[in-house]
Amino acid sequence: MKTLEKRTVVIVGGGLTAGLMSRQLTDKGIDVLILERGGDHTEGAEAKLPTQRDELRWDVQQGLIQDWSVQTYSLRHSSKESALPIRWMEAFLPGEGLGGAANHWNGHTWRWSEYDPQLRTRLETRYGKQKIPADVPIQDWGTSYAEMEPYHNLFEKLFGIAGKAGNIKGQIQPGGNPYEAPRRDEFPQKPLEITEAGLVFKATAEKLGYKPFPTPAANSSAPYTNPDGQKLGQCQYCGHCERFICEARAKASPEVLLYPMLKARKGFEVRLKCHALKVVYDAKAKRATAVQYVDLLTGQEYEQPAEVVVLAAFTMTNTKLLLTGKIGKPYDPATNSGVVGKNFCYQTNSGVSLFMKDRWFNPFLATGSTQTTMDEFNNDNFDHGGLDFIGGGGIGASMFNGRPITSRRVPPGTPQWGTAWKKANADWYVHSMALGIQGSCYPHRDNYLSLDPTYTDAFGQPLVRMTFDWRDNELKMSRYVTAKMADIAKAVGADIVGPAAPRQAPFDTRQYQSTHITGGTVMGADPKTSVVSPHLQHWDAHNLFVVGASVYPHNSGYNPTGPLSALALRLGDDLVKYVERPRML
Amino acid sequence: MSDGLGDKSNERRGFLKRVAAVSGALPFTQGIAGGVAVASLTAAQPAAAADPAAQVNAVVGYNSLSPDEAAFVEAMVNLMCPADDYTPNGVDCGLAIYIDRQLAGSFGKGAKRYLRGPWPQGKPQHGYQLPLTPEQYFKAGVAAAVTACQTKFGKSFDQIAPADANGFLRDVAGGKVLDPELNLASWFNELVYPLFTQACFADPIYGGNFNKVFWKMIGYPGLPATNTINMVQFRGKPFPGAKDPKSIADFS
Repeated sequence: MKTLEKRTVVIVGGGLTAGLMSRQLTDKGIDVLILERGGDHTEGAEAKLPTQRDELRWDVQQGLIQDWSVQTYSLRHSSKESALPIRWMEAFLPGEGLGGAANHWNGHTWRWSEYDPQLRTRLETRYGKQKIPADVPIQDWGTSYAEMEPYHNLFEKLFGIAGKAGNIKGQIQPGGNPYEAPRRDEFPQKPLEITEAGLVFKATAEKLGYKPFPTPAANSSAPYTNPDGQKLGQCQYCGHCERFICEARAKASPEVLLYPMLKARKGFEVRLKCHALKVVYDAKAKRATAVQYVDLLTGQEYEQPAEVVVLAAFTMTNTKLLLTGKIGKPYDPATNSGVVGKNFCYQTNSGVSLFMKDRWFNPFLATGSTQTTMDEFNNDNFDHGGLDFIGGGGIGASMFNGRPITSRRVPPGTPQWGTAWKKANADWYVHSMALGIQGSCYPHRDNYLSLDPTYTDAFGQPLVRMTFDWRDNELKMSRYVTAKMADIAKAVGADIVGPAAPRQAPFDTRQYQSTHITGGTVMGADPKTSVVSPHLQHWDAHNLFVVGASVYPHNSGYNPTGPLSALALRLGDDLVKYVERPRML
Repeated sequence: MSDGLGDKSNERRGFLKRVAAVSGALPFTQGIAGGVAVASLTAAQPAAAADPAAQVNAVVGYNSLSPDEAAFVEAMVNLMCPADDYTPNGVDCGLAIYIDRQLAGSFGKGAKRYLRGPWPQGKPQHGYQLPLTPEQYFKAGVAAAVTACQTKFGKSFDQIAPADANGFLRDVAGGKVLDPELNLASWFNELVYPLFTQACFADPIYGGNFNKVFWKMIGYPGLPATNTINMVQFRGKPFPGAKDPKSIADFS
């Protein structure tokens, strides 16, 4: 192992949060080095026509996704079972390469509910202390929406988010989300065009008294120049968005808006094809002193000393590096002690298909965020007083693509092959749509991450082991909100309505649900129940910071990108202060 | 779908114009939609699809399948995709070639799959847990299915009546055909069936979906890049591009 010259800020992972932090740091002239395990996608077949439009290569065969032969995760459904490695993951899809999962994301960009960062306080105040079950360790985040609002505002302007405000400084806006946290002003861009499916859903939802609105999108509704002078093209509604890289540069991504700008800045360096192995921790001095990594182009291992280390990798890797570096106390569900790995959460989703022979849905005219949604049954937007669960989900008409291998809908009872199967596909491909729920997932005492005792990755290191299943609270929530969705589906007046099945246990790795896994390195004001402080600073090493969805103490009924981007921008500003005067912030 | 050569050229020129118009409206010149497509479209010759002799898959010869395996796969894809008003039979659609090429290529060899032991068997929700590559697993399953078919009907799968073959495949998918070692329902539902639907609906560059026949069947327009105006103009209406889908080869 060769030891390199010390750098000021060393960031593990070259994705969205690293790019946002680096924007703040390099603006103040602070030296930043990013270590990224993958390469640069911008000139590859994945980002050029016509190869970009290859459903088999990029979607079905996961061309942009983490190589599971190198590193995967193991799963058991409870701490009483043994885990098995997931040999090919479908449930969630971490990215690889500069830009990370923000290359192949859909683009949904939410500010979460105003009360989300104080969820425990909110629920206890509204329903009493007994409302939260003993095995559901919901906890406040140690920050507030008001504190984060300026950073949400900055992120939305940097990424040219397209949407319709629902709440400007407390004034409810027609056409927007009445449950939205208060914003200072309108979205930087007008909403995307609504789909035919969105029109069907909107008409029915409004008839039932709900307030549907366009999902805020990072798919640029018009040519856009952000405050840094970086440009987005106009979305072409090509239906190859999520799971793909946008060749039109119309999906706001770090490789479009951040890294080209950063590479031109003094003091910024990103080392590609460098796989981080370990954070070196001096337990006596309580400092992270270096990051060890292997250069994949040479096989050479390096130790990179740093003044400040930031973990900005995918959720699982942030937790893994703390566990392998023996930094912080690992969580133990048996004794309910320790912190690293706790509050691992996911996203509780379900859906229903609708078939309408006289409506032309043209599913291929779409982007990753062409969604019309409603928030009446999301999170704590409705009264849970008489209900035996907490949480909820957004209900919406999602039409993201018409890619024919994976996105065809056929009515229930259709044979799996033969002429009748072809007929059903021919009859319904353009005449079907779906409603879907993206639901919250609250922590459970027995849902957590740890190191696998048996299985190792290509570098000889233990896999991260998930102990995870759908627990009572999420199953009950899903049953309730799915029934609400089924009522809306019935009211549409479709020719055929498919079954509206709530989420069922056990957690199934064979089915894509969402890439929104959260927790493991959670933030909070109490070192006994959190890994990092409200400023994302490790309690046991004040020069070590962690950012990303891994710091969320729970998952909301929204996509995770908005808050983690706001947190990353704020962390960039915090690090400027920290580098000037290192201390517990 | 019987467009003459002239019509097709006009359609392509129309598409080219739309690409150019939208690209021109964007505020920069590099890395935008259609940059490569425009260049290659200009040089593109009319596709062979207009030649009536090329209406069925003409690629022959297998990379991975043995003669017995090929007989099983061909019989299966012709059963799952019979010649009818919608498409030619499965072999003529290139479905067997697609499956063979996938098994012979990186997919079949287990690319990106975690292959370290030990190998205890878990719940279905853990997904595939055998030390076989997809190609090896496919072939092991074919051998088991062939044996089961021989036992039940006294004939090989490609020799039994179509109704029997259909019932046999349904029983395999439904877990009613048992093998002492392999779970044939998992084999069929999680490996064979996905390969079948990919063969039908993937870009024809992979050997299946010959002449974009499945795309035409459902009305999927393929790859066109620029739908900003179409999104509004054809919202809720039949989309003309669905009649003449474009594939990777059309832009290469």
